[in-house]
Amino acid sequence: MSLSTSLSIAVQALNADTGALQGTNNNIANANTPGYSRQTVIFQEATPTENGSLSMGDGVVLEGFQSVRDELVQTQIQQQTQSQSGTNAQLTTLQQIQPAFTTSTADIGTQMSALFTSISSLSAAPANSADRESVIAAGQNLATAFNTTSSALTTAQTGLNTQVTQDVSQINTLTQQIAALNPQIAALTGTGQDGGTLEDQQNQLVLKLSALTNVSITQTNNGGETVTTGNGTALVVGSQSYALQTAPSGSGMLQVEDSNGKNITPTLSEGDLGGTIQTRDTTIPGLLTQLDSLANQFGNAFNAVQNSGFDAYGNAGVNFFTIPSTSSIAGSAASISVGVTDPNLIAASTDQVAGGNGNLTRMTALQTAALSSGQTPGATYSNLVYQVGNLTSTATAESSATAASLLQLNDQLSSVSGVSIDQESTNLIAYQQAYEAAARVVSTIQSLFQVTLSMGTAGAN
Amino acid sequence: MRVGSMVPDAQYAMQQSQAALATALQQVSTSLRVNQLSDDPAASANMVSSLAESANVDQYTKNISSLQSQMQTADASLSDVVTSLNSAITAGTSGASGTVTLANQAATATQVQGLLSSVVASANTSYQGTYLFGGTSSSTPPFVQASTTFTSSAGSTATPLSMSTLLTPDMVTTISDAATGGSLVYKASSPETIGDLATAITNAVTAGTLSAGTTATINAAGHLQIGPNSGTDGIVVSTNDPALGSMTAASGTDVANSYAYVGNSSVNSVQIGDSLSVTTNLPGSSAFLGTNVMGSLKGLISALQSGSSVQIGAATAAVSTALNAVGETRVPLDNSISELNSQETFLGQETVNLKTAQTALVGVTLSTAATNLSQAELDNNAVLAASAKVLPQTLLSYLAPG
Repeated sequence: MSLSTSLSIAVQALNADTGALQGTNNNIANANTPGYSRQTVIFQEATPTENGSLSMGDGVVLEGFQSVRDELVQTQIQQQTQSQSGTNAQLTTLQQIQPAFTTSTADIGTQMSALFTSISSLSAAPANSADRESVIAAGQNLATAFNTTSSALTTAQTGLNTQVTQDVSQINTLTQQIAALNPQIAALTGTGQDGGTLEDQQNQLVLKLSALTNVSITQTNNGGETVTTGNGTALVVGSQSYALQTAPSGSGMLQVEDSNGKNITPTLSEGDLGGTIQTRDTTIPGLLTQLDSLANQFGNAFNAVQNSGFDAYGNAGVNFFTIPSTSSIAGSAASISVGVTDPNLIAASTDQVAGGNGNLTRMTALQTAALSSGQTPGATYSNLVYQVGNLTSTATAESSATAASLLQLNDQLSSVSGVSIDQESTNLIAYQQAYEAAARVVSTIQSLFQVTLSMGTAGAN
Repeated sequence: MRVGSMVPDAQYAMQQSQAALATALQQVSTSLRVNQLSDDPAASANMVSSLAESANVDQYTKNISSLQSQMQTADASLSDVVTSLNSAITAGTSGASGTVTLANQAATATQVQGLLSSVVASANTSYQGTYLFGGTSSSTPPFVQASTTFTSSAGSTATPLSMSTLLTPDMVTTISDAATGGSLVYKASSPETIGDLATAITNAVTAGTLSAGTTATINAAGHLQIGPNSGTDGIVVSTNDPALGSMTAASGTDVANSYAYVGNSSVNSVQIGDSLSVTTNLPGSSAFLGTNVMGSLKGLISALQSGSSVQIGAATAAVSTALNAVGETRVPLDNSISELNSQETFLGQETVNLKTAQTALVGVTLSTAATNLSQAELDNNAVLAASAKVLPQTLLSYLAPG
């Protein structure tokens, strides 16, 4: 045992404390970096020196830094992120669609009601040309309302189709980046080191990927990650990423295919892509079908009554609405229009006399008559309004719930991995004091060296 | 438990309270609890039917307003007719008196002729272009001066019409007989001819719809001639068939004091409630023909002109009968007017009820909205104050600098 050994222990301590200060500094610097996991310093006692029967401590060694993680919570966050992104994708579109069904001066319900009131008004003066014009104008407004609502739905659907391409492109970029990190992490962990920053980066990329689609993550032995879609389609294996692609489907919409060209669209249920596909392929088509049925059934029912009466010329009524036949319901809401321009062609009478209003009574009765669907036109439209409102309301509630859940999970993760400035400050003080103490030891040993060196010279003087 | 940064929690809480504040503000500014479908899908759906019902009630109210004017005009016309008939009865009673000279009887006959004209004018009353006593045939005056003979404008000596001349399909020729009160409405089908029309006229005479002697012939000038009607009251003929042109009364064939009814006996009903309709018109066939108003006046004129007290007395009695009949025909009209008035009151209340129901569905009272806003403001203030208090708290604040 010697002063040199003591000095060496003090220098090691200085080095270890410097490293610890650097680690603390890094934690503080990344306190607000998304995905950053705080690092703890790993101090290790140096192997003691054996001097005969005496075992002497040999100071401290800075082994390295260890990122603090909670893989379970991390996985839960990924899953909740998938769910929230899927819900938000649906919610965004539903919020765009919702105004088309909201009561206004131009919605279908209001215009349908206006058509019936215009007919009621005409019944009080069946030969009045201004009232006849009003019926045609009300019919045109109703047709326009159907056209506009249908257009709002198809426009949203087209927008979602574009979103599919963008999502797939982002997924491919992310999977490439994740794959590129795998060998780097493997190299680090292969030498016994912590993946640290690289793993943080990879986790962040996986989180971004989770926001896009439902993925399953498997940790490999060397610290890297294997990424598959919900149905097991490989996206990342080792350093290799497998790109998804889009291709037109039979419906005219884009389908998502794996790297082998297999259609995996139905299996994509979560994340922005899943929510987008769900809204594009299920929600909107469901609403469009009901809207088309309403337009078709109402138009045909109205035409049937019009055909049963007589116009102001005494002739049997011709079709009021131009609409596809009952066998071709799809596209009815988009294409319905008023085919009558001459007000005298409104078949108001049942007795071939221009002043009769018997057929107008039949027309107004349509308001409370069941369509072939079994419901009145108003009830059918109310049902659509309810569905759109309920879908939006449910999506809003789900979005809020997942946001709250995510906040809780992030709090949980933050309690493990997050940087606490207070904690780092106390560490800073502790390492500072340790460093100062070690420096004081160096200073003390230096003094002792001086004393030792001056032992010979004191007598000579 | 180790606590990380409280910033995300503070941000979330601020976001939530600010969203609540925005909702409360919107409620105050719009007085609506439901501003979009997702706020309350069921209420939004119920509003569709409620608003449709409101629109219907508004329209029923407008219909009532329009019908009240129209039906009151009809009632006023019938009231005028009653006045005229009473005047005629007075004149007839006076004329039947044995002390009245022939000259005075002739003057009285002229006075009654004026009353008849007044009655015809009442029978041809129109409201906003609609002839009120024409049935559903309301675009032309329902009572027209009758003549014994009508001729077509089509045809000439050079190119005469013939029995084999084709009529235009779907075009209609109408012959109204003032004596029988009946009408032949002949709609041509392809390839029917004037000969087919003539056969139809013959059949109508046989059936009693038209008076005896009514025939269709081609006259010397090549025109279609319908008549001469051998009845005492004449006919009125009209057509829209271009093959015949227009039908006009032959010169000098008008029947004095005789009017044919060219309307029909149909009625219109207008909805003034979800399950309530009123009949809006009284056809001239029942108001004037069925009651023999014009026939009785024509009879009184003839009796006065004849100078026979007995005939004048009988004719006056006939006018009295007609007066009573008119009074009876007014009853349903008056009932309808009364029904309109009571329904108008009901709809006024219904409008209020619907508005109340709609407010309950999607509206919010100002006091509730204001309370919600205060509460949201309070919550937001609390979140902001707590965040301002907690977020700056770190150990660093307590460490001495340097």
